[in-house]
Amino acid sequence: MKQYTANLLVDGIVQGVGFRPTIYRLAKVMKLNGYVRNMGNIVEIVVQGTYDDIKLFIDQIQEHKPIRSEINNIHVDIHEQTTPKYNDFTIVNSSNEISGTAVIPPDMSICDECLDEILDTNNQHYYYPFTACTNCGPRFTIIDEVPYDRKNTTMKKFPLCKHCNQEYTNPLDRRYHAEATCCPDCGPEVYLYKDGKIPTRDPIRQTSQLIDEGNIIAIKGIGGTHLVCKTSTDDAIEKLRERLGRKTQPFACMTPDIQTASLFVTYTQQEKEVLQSVAKPIVVLNKSPEYNLSPQLSPNLHNQGVMLPYTGLHHLLFKYTLEPAYVMTSANMPGNPMLIDNKEITTKLEDIADYYLLHDRKILNRCDDSVIRFRNNKPSFIRRSRGYVPKPFDFTKINTTKNILALGPELDVTFSILKEGKCYPSQHIGNTSKYKTLEFMKDAIKHLLKLTRTDKIDYIVADMHPEFNTTKLAKELSKKYNTELIQVQHHHAHAASLMSEHQLDEMVAITADGVGYGEDGNIWGGEVLYLNNTGEYKNHGGLTLQPMPGGDLSTKYPIRMAMGILYNIMDTEELRNLMKTDYSDYFKYGEKEVDITLKQLENNFNTAQTSSMGRVLDSISVLLGISKNRGYEGECSMKLESVAREGFDLLKIEPIYEIKNNKTLINTSKLLYEVVKLMKSGVGIDEIACAAQRTLAEALSKIAINTAKAYNTKIIGVTGGVFYNEYISKVVKETLTNEGYTYIQHKQTCPGDGSVSMGQCAIAGWKTQE
Amino acid sequence: MAYNDDKINMVHGAGGEVMQGMISDIILNNVSKTSVNGGIGLEALDDSATIPIDDEHVIVTTIDSHTVQPLFFPGGDIGRISAAGTLNDISVMGVKPLSLNNAMVISEGFERSDLEKIVKSMDETCQEVGAAIITGDTKVIDSDKLDGMIIATAGIGVGKKENIVSDAGLKVGNKVIITGSVGDHGMAIMSKREGFGYETELKSDVAPVWGMVEAAQKVGTITAMKDPTRGGIANALNEMANKANVGMRLDEERIPIKPEVEAVSDMLGIDPFEVANEGKIVMGVEAENAEDVLQAIQKTKYGKDAQIIGEVTDKKHVIMETIIGGERLIEPPIADPVPRVC
Ligand SMILES: [Fe+3]
Ligand SMILES: [Mg+2]
Ligand SMILES: [Zn+2]
Ligand SMILES: [Zn+2]
Repeated sequence: MKQYTANLLVDGIVQGVGFRPTIYRLAKVMKLNGYVRNMGNIVEIVVQGTYDDIKLFIDQIQEHKPIRSEINNIHVDIHEQTTPKYNDFTIVNSSNEISGTAVIPPDMSICDECLDEILDTNNQHYYYPFTACTNCGPRFTIIDEVPYDRKNTTMKKFPLCKHCNQEYTNPLDRRYHAEATCCPDCGPEVYLYKDGKIPTRDPIRQTSQLIDEGNIIAIKGIGGTHLVCKTSTDDAIEKLRERLGRKTQPFACMTPDIQTASLFVTYTQQEKEVLQSVAKPIVVLNKSPEYNLSPQLSPNLHNQGVMLPYTGLHHLLFKYTLEPAYVMTSANMPGNPMLIDNKEITTKLEDIADYYLLHDRKILNRCDDSVIRFRNNKPSFIRRSRGYVPKPFDFTKINTTKNILALGPELDVTFSILKEGKCYPSQHIGNTSKYKTLEFMKDAIKHLLKLTRTDKIDYIVADMHPEFNTTKLAKELSKKYNTELIQVQHHHAHAASLMSEHQLDEMVAITADGVGYGEDGNIWGGEVLYLNNTGEYKNHGGLTLQPMPGGDLSTKYPIRMAMGILYNIMDTEELRNLMKTDYSDYFKYGEKEVDITLKQLENNFNTAQTSSMGRVLDSISVLLGISKNRGYEGECSMKLESVAREGFDLLKIEPIYEIKNNKTLINTSKLLYEVVKLMKSGVGIDEIACAAQRTLAEALSKIAINTAKAYNTKIIGVTGGVFYNEYISKVVKETLTNEGYTYIQHKQTCPGDGSVSMGQCAIAGWKTQE
Repeated sequence: MAYNDDKINMVHGAGGEVMQGMISDIILNNVSKTSVNGGIGLEALDDSATIPIDDEHVIVTTIDSHTVQPLFFPGGDIGRISAAGTLNDISVMGVKPLSLNNAMVISEGFERSDLEKIVKSMDETCQEVGAAIITGDTKVIDSDKLDGMIIATAGIGVGKKENIVSDAGLKVGNKVIITGSVGDHGMAIMSKREGFGYETELKSDVAPVWGMVEAAQKVGTITAMKDPTRGGIANALNEMANKANVGMRLDEERIPIKPEVEAVSDMLGIDPFEVANEGKIVMGVEAENAEDVLQAIQKTKYGKDAQIIGEVTDKKHVIMETIIGGERLIEPPIADPVPRVC
């Protein structure tokens, strides 16, 4: 038999998941000699044997790869070898030479084996909150550099004890080269803190007692810090709201297990699976009729964000409490990044937290909890972060060899890197109009470039908005790296993220959200676009442009927006009267602001034009008295959706179209005027809310269908923050499918701005295809 | 807001980044000699230019044309502005203004009595600092070519080299002083012009600032200063920080603003930091005598509300700690604000 030596380079999620020991075991079982090692961000295997042996070995790798691993590609280089070079199979030290598309895995929730050990009084890991193995525990949040070796992680501060070292060096052990492994003898320590460490034998148990007594505790976790309090009564949550200055924004909660969750929310089988998945995201679920948590948790909404414990610490925290759930909200000042540094936690949260549960392991990469919401019974992300990042998307259909860095828009920002057919969206960065968040973004960019081993950038991509900090940062970076800057229209990027996720070549997209700078200098947000894989697109209409008196003020105080929309249809004095009699306390300055806003509209003074659907939904919400102003992003339209669910869905409001510059537009002034008239005539606000949402959804679908006809395509996608709305998504889907069109929505990406950077990468990729 | 690059647009005169771009593209690129005897010249884009005349002394000179609408507004008129504007550009170089040259372009049919009021107003303003109007020019043109009048004034001062304060002299650790409330002029003009009806509450701050400069220089060292006119303090602070390659950290709570200015800008969605002032100075001063400088300014006629609003850092950004907590980047305005909140 001829003997061969094969050199295999394995790309994918192959480091930090027990890949090398699996290879070791396979080779041993098959009695093949050679070695395996981490190389840069990929894994190299050298093996010798007959041609058939090697072929079988490769098949076996695919079949028996560790559960947390993913193989993108195995590059095989095989040649004849007469004298065998190896007489054993070994795991050898990492080398640093190669760069591929491989990446370390996301953080993983604690596995069942580790959890059992934590609860087993006879185990070395009993009651130890940082217990981890090759199948579980932190990854992305603790790694500084590839290859994924302990010395390249924050665990390097914690030399292994004898016990852990035995597990770590035994290829047959679950903790073989588990870089995050540790135990009470050698690992990080958790402690309760307030003006100094509080001496206690059991800081975690004491923490849950303090929570149950109504205290607010800052708990440092894996990728960040949570503010935690009880949920069974109002007082603790009210205190937290007061201290944070977050009057109405819903808080997510953590509940010990799925049985407890079913006491206050309902879920489908798919929702349950996502809730329990290894990423353990927050899932937004409908409140059950028996919902008995404090109404302060997610006030005036029909749903509630819920997650399950994902670390040993969380499980231990729930061990001694009778509370059905704890508030778990990111510990940050509004708009600023979540706090991760012990000193910062204890100083910046001084006026917010009563106690701190801290530990002495550094968080290297901040990573917020991910949030998922189902629409049409399918999940999509509100925020894709912990548990998913840095997993890439397959962009091999885009035929570019360029490395692209895209910086996203401004709020809910992520950035993305496109390299060798893979697109890596970053963790949630947040509101980059805040200085601290922008600084976090700069750090995170450096870091992800390092982890993906991207050492050159060919194109930088930014939004078209001239004032976004990310646009300015992109300009700076393009100077620094001496690369070309590509600016992409906001909604084009939204649609491109959807199209690239579904690996499509062309589609019609309904793009509906809050604000996006349009090619024409107007503010878009309710458009129908056609786009394809040349990187070009065309706008085919949507909602009419409406004045935004005072610009962003109309977002904060949507009654101003409503006034702008009605100004185009109502008599000025009639409008003045309506505003002064029914809505004057919706304006920050009352009646005099009504007059000034009208004057502003008359003079067209500091009044931008927008086709934003978000602004129309906000306006309907305030006109119906469902909300007054906006305390948090999306508040008015979220509450509108909740109220609309109570309607019978029988009332119809006919959409009025107009044609302008060959575009079909939905006249939103007529729609809003109808809303006002219906309300005045005594129709229930839930019916009107429902009908107005339906009108917009159906009318946009009609325009999309006509556009699709013109291009002879059958595929219509929906994107933008409006499509978090379950009802609107449902109506659009029904309308499109009834007419024989294929409806596409986000699956592994966000309808909102979190996926804009990925779309920017796609467009830059298409534009620069060879 | 989509500009045609081939045409000069209103935003090119708005005092923001677009105007800066036009100045460097079209003006700086086409002027061959831009300074005299190594003095501060055109390239510096400072408030005024300097011409060294011997080892010790420099001439300071500047020019400004004024096109305010309406000509008479609460707190002042075009006469006072066209005097104060130029006198102030000389003053913020650290030098006493001596004289004005005054060119007026008047539209046919202009009221004689209005013209007289305007000239008197110019004169009164000059008297406040002891400056003379020493030469001038008048033109009258068709009323369909011009609505009202345009006044161009050039100013001259002579001072010692060592007293000259450029825009670019900020040092890390310096304190930043503003000599009074922000946004008064811009909001008053806007409100009057658009008919928002706040004439009794909102008054322009137009005034000569020399008195404050003189008082400050007696007790301390000013490292850099500007009068924050078009583009407001947002523009002036960024310009100073950029030219010195430093940043600033400001405290929102200490930035003086009149409640009525705040209310009206709040109702219009206008950032008071981005609108013009016509009687204020922002300056950097050495930290050790910042308190003395502040007190000296507060004793002057127009400096009662002066405040130390922050300090100079090495961070390259102008960052403001906001009242509600958190930090905001103060950016130079581009032109009109574009909605960005999602
Ligand atoms: Fe968006
Ligand atoms: Mg100056
Ligand atoms: Zn485990
Ligand atoms: Zn150990």
